[in-house]
Parts: sequence; C-alpha cells; structure tokens
Amino acid sequence: MEHKASIQPVEGGEVKLRNVTKQFGEDVAQTTVIQDCTFEVERGKFTVVIGPSGCGKTTLINVIAGYETPTSGEVVLDGATVSGPGPDRLVVFQETALFPWMTTLNNVMYGPVVQRDSQAADIEKKAHELIELVGLSEFSHKYPIQLSGGMQRRAELARALINNPRVLLMDEPFRGLDAMTRQLMQEYLLRLFEGSGRTILFVTSEIDEAILLADKLLVLSRAPTHVKATITVDLPRPRNLEMLTSRRYAELKSEALSILYQEAVSAFAAGSNAAADLVEAFEQRQSVQGKTDK
Amino acid sequence: MKQSSHGGSPARELTTWFQLRRWLKARWNLNLLLGVISLTTLAAVWELGKPLGIPLISNVPPPSEVIVAAQDLLTSEQYWQGWYLSLQRITIGFIIAQIIGIPLGLAMAINRMTFDTTFPVIEILRPIPPVAWIPISIVFWPTREMSVIFIVFLGAFWIVLLNTIGGASHIDPSYKRAALSLGSRPNDLFWKIILPATIPSIVTGMAVGMGISWEMVVASEMIAGDTGLGYLLWLSFQINAIGHVIVCMISIGIAGYCSSAIIRAAGEWATPWRRLF
Ligand SMILES: Nc1ncnc2c1ncn2[C@@H]1O[C@H](COP(=O)(O)OP(=O)(O)OP(=O)(O)O)[C@@H](O)[C@H]1O
Ligand SMILES: [Mg+2]
Repeated sequence: MEHKASIQPVEGGEVKLRNVTKQFGEDVAQTTVIQDCTFEVERGKFTVVIGPSGCGKTTLINVIAGYETPTSGEVVLDGATVSGPGPDRLVVFQETALFPWMTTLNNVMYGPVVQRDSQAADIEKKAHELIELVGLSEFSHKYPIQLSGGMQRRAELARALINNPRVLLMDEPFRGLDAMTRQLMQEYLLRLFEGSGRTILFVTSEIDEAILLADKLLVLSRAPTHVKATITVDLPRPRNLEMLTSRRYAELKSEALSILYQEAVSAFAAGSNAAADLVEAFEQRQSVQGKTDK
Repeated sequence: MKQSSHGGSPARELTTWFQLRRWLKARWNLNLLLGVISLTTLAAVWELGKPLGIPLISNVPPPSEVIVAAQDLLTSEQYWQGWYLSLQRITIGFIIAQIIGIPLGLAMAINRMTFDTTFPVIEILRPIPPVAWIPISIVFWPTREMSVIFIVFLGAFWIVLLNTIGGASHIDPSYKRAALSLGSRPNDLFWKIILPATIPSIVTGMAVGMGISWEMVVASEMIAGDTGLGYLLWLSFQINAIGHVIVCMISIGIAGYCSSAIIRAAGEWATPWRRLF
C-alpha cells in the first residue's frame, strides 16, 4: 500500500491502568462504575475490551481520554500520569462527534489547525492525503450530514490519525452500522492497523468483532467493572473475515463466551433482567452443540 | 427471475408513472382551484356584506372601498414616510437587541459567574410584557423616537437572549470533548465550536423576535408615536377612515412577512450545513 507512507511512525503508546476506580455521585446516590481496574495496553498492539452492555466501557474510555478523573488509581501513558484530554490519545466515539458545521476537510484539519505548529498549506496537504487514505476524496467538501454512517466513521478516523496520536481509543465505533458495512469497516481498520505500528484500544460488545481485531482481548465483568479475564488472540496477521470460520477462532470464541456467560449468570442472580437473554441464549447454544456432537 | 417477481414490464411501469404524474397534476390544480375559490368567496361575502345587510360584516368597508383608499394612501407622502420610519425603528431596535442579547446569552451560558449575577434581574424583568413598558419608557427616554425603539428592542431582546442561552448550554458534550482532545484552546472552543453550534438557536430567536418587534413597533407608535405605520393606522381610525385602517393593516402584514423572510434567508446562509442532504 503506497499511501501508508503518509502515516508517520508513532512513538510510545503504552497505557497502564493502575487500580483505577471511578465513582459517580455522592453519599447515598453514589455508584461505583469501575472497581479497581488494572490492565495494560501494549505499544503497537491491538487491544480489545469487551463487556456486557452498560458495564462501564464508555466510562473507562472517558477516564483514559482524560474527560473524567478517576476517583482513585491512575492512568499512565508512557510513564506520565494522564491529567486531562490531549491529542496524544484520540477518541473515535460511539456516536459520531464530527463537527456538523465543518466540511470533511475542515473536520480533519481541525486538530493541527488549533495546535498551531504547522503551516496551513502543509496541514491541508496532509489532510487531503488522509482523506484519500480513508477513501473520501470526493467528499472532502461535504458536510457530515451528507455522509453515510460508515463514511462518517472513516472521516472521524482521518481526523484522529492526522494528529498521530500515541494511542487511538475507539468506543464501539461501528455500533449502529448495518452488518455488511460493519464487516467492511472491520476489514478496513485491519488494513489500516496491520504494519502501521499503531496502538489501538478498541471497545466493543460484539464477540466476533473483538476476536477478529484483537491481539489481546480483555473481558470486563459487569458493573462495577474490572478485567475479568485476558485472552491472547494468536490468530495470524494479516487477518481477514475467512478466519471467522477457523477452528482456533471457534475455540477463542467459546473461551470468551463462557466467561461472559458466567458474568451474565451472576448479573442475573443479582437481579439484572438484561443478562437473562444472554444466559438463555448461551444455554440453548450448549444444548444444540451437545446434540450435534453425538 | 428477480425482475419478473417485481411483476412489472417496462410498459406497465411507464403507465404507473404517467398515472402518478397525472394524479399529482390533478392535485396541484385542485389545490390552486380551492385556494382561488376560498379567496373569491371571502372577497364576495365581504363585498356583498353591506348591500345584503349581513350583520358585523356590513360595519366594515367593502374591498372596492379599500382599493380606493389604497390608491389614496399609496400616493400620499405620509404613507411612504410611515414605512420608512417604522422600518428604521425596527432595524435599530432589532439590531441593538442582537448586539446585546447574543453576547450576553453566550456569556451567561459559558460563565457561571455571569449567569448567577444576571439571571435574577432577568427573571424579574422578563415576564413583564414589552407593551407594559411603554409609559415608563416615555418617562425615561428623552424623545418619543427613543421610547419606540426601546420597546422594539425589548420585544426582540428577551427571545434572542433566551434562545442563545438555551442553544449554547445544550451543546452535545461530545463536540466539546472531541475539540478538547484535538488540542483546542479556550478561544478555539468558543469561536469554532460553541458559536457555530449555537447559531441555529440564535436564528430561531431572531425569527421569532422579528415578529414580536413588529407587534411592538405598531403598539408603541399607536400610543407614543407621531409617525410610522402604526401611528397612521391609529390616526386613520380616529378620523374614521376605516378603509385606510385596513390598508395599513395589510401593509404591516406584508412588512412583517418580508422581514421574517429576510431573517430566514440570512439564517440559511449562515448555516449551510443544515440545509443539505
Ligand atoms: N456522568 C455520570 N454520572 C452518573 N452515572 C454515570 C455517568 N456516566 C456513566 N454513568 C453510569 O455508569 C454506568 C456505565 O455507563 P457506560 O456508558 O460507561 O457503560 P457502557 O458499557 O459504555 O454502556 P453501553 O453498552 O450502553 O455503551 C451506567 O450505569 C451509567 O448510568
Ligand atoms: Mg458505551
């Protein structure tokens, strides 16, 4: 891929969470969303966080991005404690956060323009390169409202990449896209990541997406959340969608699912109706598999 | 296979298309026809009110007399001067309202201190209808002209202030977060994020405010003025020239409509990202 050259190598990107706890509210109304969470995002690796809906994934991203300060514990990026938002950790949001009043080009140029350390002409050239990289050249003068969901996500990716963030934080970026677009976006992200040396922390609640993308998969517990298990995904790279049918893939998926199932069972026991669906579906899957095995 | 399952040969599709067009055309003509019918009926009932002795309607001069009155007024200098002066008052009062209302609203939405100090005063004054200010305004301002402009100002001020505060304090937090992550300074955050995100609410406030401004200019010219369309309307009533009253009413309606159209057009121009698909 010739235009890979336009992405400069990035330095650093190692994120460490040390005993991070995040609580909201005070006194009686206090809830703990993240409880004593410790993990590491390795530099140059694709780390995926998976957890049940509502467990605190977005809160986790917000803490790492610096939008929220942890109640206790700390987030360390390349040895320095994170103390607020900054262009070294860029977020691609769950809902699109492209600025509706700016064209694709101006959205992508926004970071370098406000950081004021390069010439306008250079910024624009770089922005055009990245817009081409994400396949939106024809749409560089269109407004976000004129782009489809998938295009908006790619524009947002370009807006993040132009700043060469040390780590890219992605909070369920493909949620809400239709199944086919979602798969295409996954393949697209793999092509962008593989061989680029970038560090990505990706949040999802979709097991297939998680395994397809991850080098390391962190399974979160239900709220108050912490890392329940770490699974090393040793599928070879470059990855492609065919791997979803491989034997190793199925093993990894079973492993992850059974951990999620245990979580759902205890959530159900603790009174969460939302967890009931997963418990029931998993049990049916077990019984069907049991029959076919015989 | 797939095509046949849709069940339409090209010729058949063509007929459906023509049917659709014919139907649309018929609708359009029907709409036009109904519009013409309702307007003619209105004019006819109004015109025949007097000869037929229809109660209430016969108190009002018929369209034929209004047309004569219009010819009379439209050739008088006082009428055109009325337009000019009323428009001038609207423009001055309205613009001052924007110049004060928009920055104040933004400051109140962004800065807690500004909000806490100004909000109590605003909450006490805001519920008072601008018309109720007319007497005190006459006492307070040295000239009648200034009192009228002040009332117009009040009419536009509250609504643009409230809309600006509302718009600027309900910006989706993810825009601000994204902007901060990308390295925005407070200045960038204001000019490139908060201001553009608030423009749609400001435009709404301006459009509504323009309507209220016209109500206020007419009311205050009637009470405190000695020129302008509102004053001319009141004067015509006092000398029992009801035809002239009606011409003034229609004129004010047209003026209000055109002013709103200008605001709407300016609003669309200022927010190109909203009118595209
Ligand atoms: N600012 C806040 N104040 C109070 N509670 C909050 C706040 N932010 C999040 N929460 C609570 O924290 C919990 C986790 O929310 P969060 O959005 O992080 O979950 P999530 O895993 O990202 O969910 P989803 O699957 O819907 O994206 C929720 O119960 C939510 O109500
Ligand atoms: Mg979330």
